[in-house]
Amino acid sequence: MDFKQRIMTAMNHEEPDQVPVMGLIMDPSTVNQIMGKEPVDFVAMIKNPDTKDSIKDMMNQDEFWNSTYQSNWNDALESSLKLGFDANWTIYAFMQLVEDSESSLGLVWHDVFGRVWEMGSDNKGNLILNYSRPLCPTEEAWEAWVEEKAPIFEKAIEYATDFHKKLVDDYGDRIMPIGCAAPGIFENCWQPIGFVEFTKFTFQKPGFVKRVIDFYTDYYLKYLEGVMRSGVEVVLGGDDLAQKTGPMMSPEMTEKLFGESYRHIAEAVHKRDRKFIFHSCGNIYPLLDKFIEWGFDGIITMEPTAGVELGKVREHVGHKLVLIGNLDVSYLLVKGSRQEIEDAVKRAIKDAASGGGYILSAAHSHPYVDPSRLEWMVEAVHKYGKYPISI
Amino acid sequence: MMSNKTPQKLKDSLLSLDMDATMEQVDFVVKGDADVTVQEAVDAVAEALEVVGKRFQGGEWFLAELVYSGEIAKSAMELLSPLMSSGASQPLGTIVVGTVAGDLHDLGKNIFINYSKSAGFEVVDLGIDVPVEKFVSAVDEYKPLALGMSCLLTITSEEVGKVIEGLKDRGNRDKVKVIVGGAALTEEFAREVGSDAFAPDAITGIDIIKKWIAS
Ligand code: B1M
Repeated sequence: MDFKQRIMTAMNHEEPDQVPVMGLIMDPSTVNQIMGKEPVDFVAMIKNPDTKDSIKDMMNQDEFWNSTYQSNWNDALESSLKLGFDANWTIYAFMQLVEDSESSLGLVWHDVFGRVWEMGSDNKGNLILNYSRPLCPTEEAWEAWVEEKAPIFEKAIEYATDFHKKLVDDYGDRIMPIGCAAPGIFENCWQPIGFVEFTKFTFQKPGFVKRVIDFYTDYYLKYLEGVMRSGVEVVLGGDDLAQKTGPMMSPEMTEKLFGESYRHIAEAVHKRDRKFIFHSCGNIYPLLDKFIEWGFDGIITMEPTAGVELGKVREHVGHKLVLIGNLDVSYLLVKGSRQEIEDAVKRAIKDAASGGGYILSAAHSHPYVDPSRLEWMVEAVHKYGKYPISI
Repeated sequence: MMSNKTPQKLKDSLLSLDMDATMEQVDFVVKGDADVTVQEAVDAVAEALEVVGKRFQGGEWFLAELVYSGEIAKSAMELLSPLMSSGASQPLGTIVVGTVAGDLHDLGKNIFINYSKSAGFEVVDLGIDVPVEKFVSAVDEYKPLALGMSCLLTITSEEVGKVIEGLKDRGNRDKVKVIVGGAALTEEFAREVGSDAFAPDAITGIDIIKKWIAS
């Protein structure tokens, strides 16, 4: 079987030749290590008054942004191929560098959706980018943002489609790009507004919250069409609905606010004969039935640090969901020994792989994940994951 | 007109997540249009928050309810606190809080801050990605009764120990209690690095600090 047949057989709850293995490679630190490249100290260039403005001008040209971004993801897929993964997620983002006095660097990234992303470096000088705060904490600010950015919203879909298409064209015969749709509807509703404010609005301004959700659902569905047009066969929706101890909102509230949106997403994907897998960190046990009800084909992550165990999830959902995960990134894939990794792989295969419907992966991306440990992980899958499973 | 049922009504409305009804009761107290003291109203809010904590820990309530009840309590306390002790606002003390260096997660920290304010503490929020030196200097500057650190990434958890070491180097360790929380930490870890307490959630954290004051 080739990588694609392996993944698709597992996605159909049948047993492939061996357990497929998926990469969540994206962090520059991991990629640079695998590719043997030196980090580009972007933050140092921003700190330097001689280069700051030119960097800003350059990065804010769409063409330059897109080509740099694309080449980073080419490297991510090359890295994933080197390690022997059958698939890797692919995520598009469109951002602009903006002056910001609140930031210690004086510059931050704004994404299309109204979120501020701060830059930082890891201990080797690799760039780290993270969502840090909202830009639209009031109803008025949100309305104004959406109106002002309308042309960019449309443009971002075009760019995302091109981005995924290039990856499918250039790598699709060697590895499966699992294309991420737009940022998750739940996340993308609260992050531009802020969690506390968004929560307050759900109680105090339900009409506004509905408008926000409808807006992003509509946008998400268009974005999803673009990603699927690119040729991607499995689409990943990333949306952290939970935290360590349980869902952020009760399953009832999640259903009431977002259930319809998730159903539409699953329908749209199935209409195009594609598969939809859903990523949420945190303790997702109370939402498992919802994932099935909403029509998802699979779930990815199952965070061990939030107490989620593959075996228990399989017991609960049977073969109604494909499971993808869940090797720990807090210790195991950062500092674990070869033996510990081998044991974890064996346990995961034992707990979830029988009958197909299981793809092994890390529980999350993490800049400190060590490439050699990922290599050990893949080797262990190849050693113990041959069907019929005999562990 | 408020009756002596007010504390109960205050509690009930907060626990029904009804901001308007809660603020209506608070308004009665503020206008002196009630037969309960400000202190009794404040105690009612505190009792309600204890129930919130139990509901959250028991899995009956989720983060959204925890956040919103914290917001209601904060709004109530903003009006009630200045009236305590014949008009003078008397904060229970100062807490310095931040998320450790390298970590940008702030939801838990912000919830902890909201609850601290509702409980009557003054809070200095150092923000996210806070370097060791900033924590240590803030203790020098604000002389807080407690220093709180939030940490969600295992890789940055060593920062917690570094801050505690920094406090020792500056001769301040025994002048401030250290409380830590966040998804990456555990009770055992907190003990190992020499903090005084681990808080699995924001409300437990506040309870711990209140107990420190009482003792
Ligand atoms: C001082 O006294 C106190 C007292 C009580 C205190 C306290 C202080 N602090 C907290 N508490 C306590 O009170 C609160 C409740 O009452 C609780 O607070 P918490 O903070 O624990 O809980 C919050 C209220 C809700 N929980 C949260 O907000 C965290 C939820 C999860 C899903 C999460 C989110 C949302 C995010 N993340 Co991140 N994130 C995850 C989380 C999964 C999880 N298991 O928690 C976690 C923490 N993230 C992780 C990772 C890997 C990352 N994240 C990252 C980024 C993000 C977002 C920006 C997308 C977003 C944060 C948004 C924000 N502004 O905070 C990156 C790191 C960014 C950085 N440098 O900090 C990135 C590295 C991802 C990447 N590859 O870029 C994982 C860490 C693994 C580990 N153990 O090291 C993770 C466990 C997810 C996973 N699947 O493994 C208690 O702990």
